[in-house]
Amino acid sequence: MVSHNPVRIVVVYQSLLGIYGDRGNAMVLTQRLRRRGIDAELVMVEPGSPVPTDGAVYLLGGGEDLAQVAAVNAMRADGGIFHALEDGAVLFAVCAGYQIAGNTFTVGDHDEVIEGLGLVDATTRRGPVRAVGEVLSHWTRPDGLEVVLSGFENHGGYTTLGPAARPLARIELGVGNCGDGTEGAVQGQVVCTYPHGPNLVRNPALADWLLEKALGRTLGELPDEQLNEELRVLREQRITVARHSKNLAEDTRWLGARR
Amino acid sequence: MGAMASIPAAQVQRGRPIGPDLPRRAWRGAAIGAGNLAAWASRASGRGSGASIRGQVITTLYPRAFAELIAGRRIAAVSGTNGKTTTTHLLTAALRSSVADPHDVVTNADGANLREGIASALSQRIHAPIAVLETDEQVVPDLVRLGHPEVLVMLNFSRDQLDRHHEIKSLGKKWRDALQALGEQGPVVVANLHDPLVSWAAEAAHTTIWVDMGVGWTQDAALCPECGAVLRYELSEGWSCPGCGLAQHAPDYAVDAEGLRGPEGAHWPLQLAVPGRFNRGNAACALAAAVVMGVQPTTALQAMAGVTAPAGRFSIGHFGETSARLLLAKNPAGWSESLLVMQSDPVILAIDSAIADGTDVSWLWDVDYEQLAGRHVVCTGPRAQDLAVRLSYAGVGHSLVPSLGEAMHAHYDGTVDVLATYTAFLTLCKMGGVTW
Ligand SMILES: [Zn+2]
Repeated sequence: MVSHNPVRIVVVYQSLLGIYGDRGNAMVLTQRLRRRGIDAELVMVEPGSPVPTDGAVYLLGGGEDLAQVAAVNAMRADGGIFHALEDGAVLFAVCAGYQIAGNTFTVGDHDEVIEGLGLVDATTRRGPVRAVGEVLSHWTRPDGLEVVLSGFENHGGYTTLGPAARPLARIELGVGNCGDGTEGAVQGQVVCTYPHGPNLVRNPALADWLLEKALGRTLGELPDEQLNEELRVLREQRITVARHSKNLAEDTRWLGARR
Repeated sequence: MGAMASIPAAQVQRGRPIGPDLPRRAWRGAAIGAGNLAAWASRASGRGSGASIRGQVITTLYPRAFAELIAGRRIAAVSGTNGKTTTTHLLTAALRSSVADPHDVVTNADGANLREGIASALSQRIHAPIAVLETDEQVVPDLVRLGHPEVLVMLNFSRDQLDRHHEIKSLGKKWRDALQALGEQGPVVVANLHDPLVSWAAEAAHTTIWVDMGVGWTQDAALCPECGAVLRYELSEGWSCPGCGLAQHAPDYAVDAEGLRGPEGAHWPLQLAVPGRFNRGNAACALAAAVVMGVQPTTALQAMAGVTAPAGRFSIGHFGETSARLLLAKNPAGWSESLLVMQSDPVILAIDSAIADGTDVSWLWDVDYEQLAGRHVVCTGPRAQDLAVRLSYAGVGHSLVPSLGEAMHAHYDGTVDVLATYTAFLTLCKMGGVTW
């Protein structure tokens, strides 16, 4: 639990790990605090500058092989993120960020094994087919309510979890971790998922849970009815499209819109 | 580098030897005839300009068409992720202004920039001695090898469809390899100095003219293309690599507040009908390329000022009572620049996610829609709901009208600006009576 004012949401190395609109997750977290009257600040840190240690939530996003290696090296040399997590901050790692948060992952045509940050008990190797397309999974919230998570995955690496980590959700559609029916990982304050980019946009319940984990208290519903309604409709559309698409990668437009 | 020698015939790509009985030219002529017929049929049935179907028919019936049609002409080629259609139109105008008969300059004005599209355009002007070719990034290595362009404009590499991102670097490598292999026989390259990957590829050319387009999009260029180190950016020096020393070049041409700067202290005012600072950068590249082709700068600039609506971009469409200026953006870099051009209130933003647009709309979060705060946005197109949520988080007032037709036929005061993804743009052009 962290209690800094303002609450800092830290995007780590967007230039390396942010190619899929990952900044959106930080915007969502920051806005969902502010609209509840909680002072919040979005911090972007790039290699060469120290990673702040007083953040509440740290975000790692999607990126290419070489960028993953550069990011691991820079984060390890900096050390800030390890201190922050020891102090109770939350890490939300997405796609390539998920892979580097684990024990090992591979890069390049020859599948060179690279040591990850070791923040989650997970191992990533190249999978048989690239996973691209809409993905649906079922997440059980701490209060026992089951929530459908909706997203878009695009990854060649397949991840298996070790005993210290447990899956975030059960797959309904798509590949997720490695085609074994699990999606993502949770280990203490570390939360990982494959659906890339701004996936907290489609999953406000997950966004609020990350904030609650970081702040150590519940937040209640967002006091913005228009946004809540827009999010409800967006989720409904994406879930419907995913369930009715033959090809999850290509046939993903909202079918209800007339041209 | 070797002496200037003509290319041995063996280097010219040979297609499958079908139809050996017919003399080659007659065979090719028949293929073009069949292509024209298919194009006519396509137009007659209202399915489009017919350029791509023509190209497909020609290259299917006569596989050597692309290689043969680009051979034996003076070629100026334009490639890059953003701006190639407008730059091609600007350069074409410049070249046409300096020849006696404008038909001597052939171009693929419709933006059909794959082998088929290029073959289609060239087949319509078999004897035109000069060609200005908008060229897809994938086709550049072949075009350079087979067509020996005199000049190649390299605008930028940026993420287009996110699913294809990993291809950008290997594309840059293919360009670099092609230029390196040709040596002195390769084109003069006109290159955007702000783009590290373009610069790295362009360095392999025997001669490179560096252009400061006045706009730098660096979100796609974090790592050095040569050695993989994290690039440094500084306001005064631009980008540089701490690992291998690759660094931004000094400009030969540059966009500035008053106009364009050129070599040896030259300066020209710049007046364009096409809007936006990115088009000033495109014009700088077009001018540099025109000069390579032998056009006087003032002649070129005068001609470029008359270019208004390249392949429908920036044209005015009519939708019942509504007049709308139609803008196209295909990726975050294009969206960020195009938003700066939008003047009306409200503005209409049309989002689709067909294959040609990229099926994943994550890029919506890489565009600073926050700059529209204070204006009203009409969200339309099949992915309007995704946009609405994006705008809500950005604090931008908006309404949601998923049907393009309904959105366009609402009442607006004056000309309304519409910015659209590729598929939505084509639909709007058709709906609004814009042809080219
Ligand atoms: Zn380097």
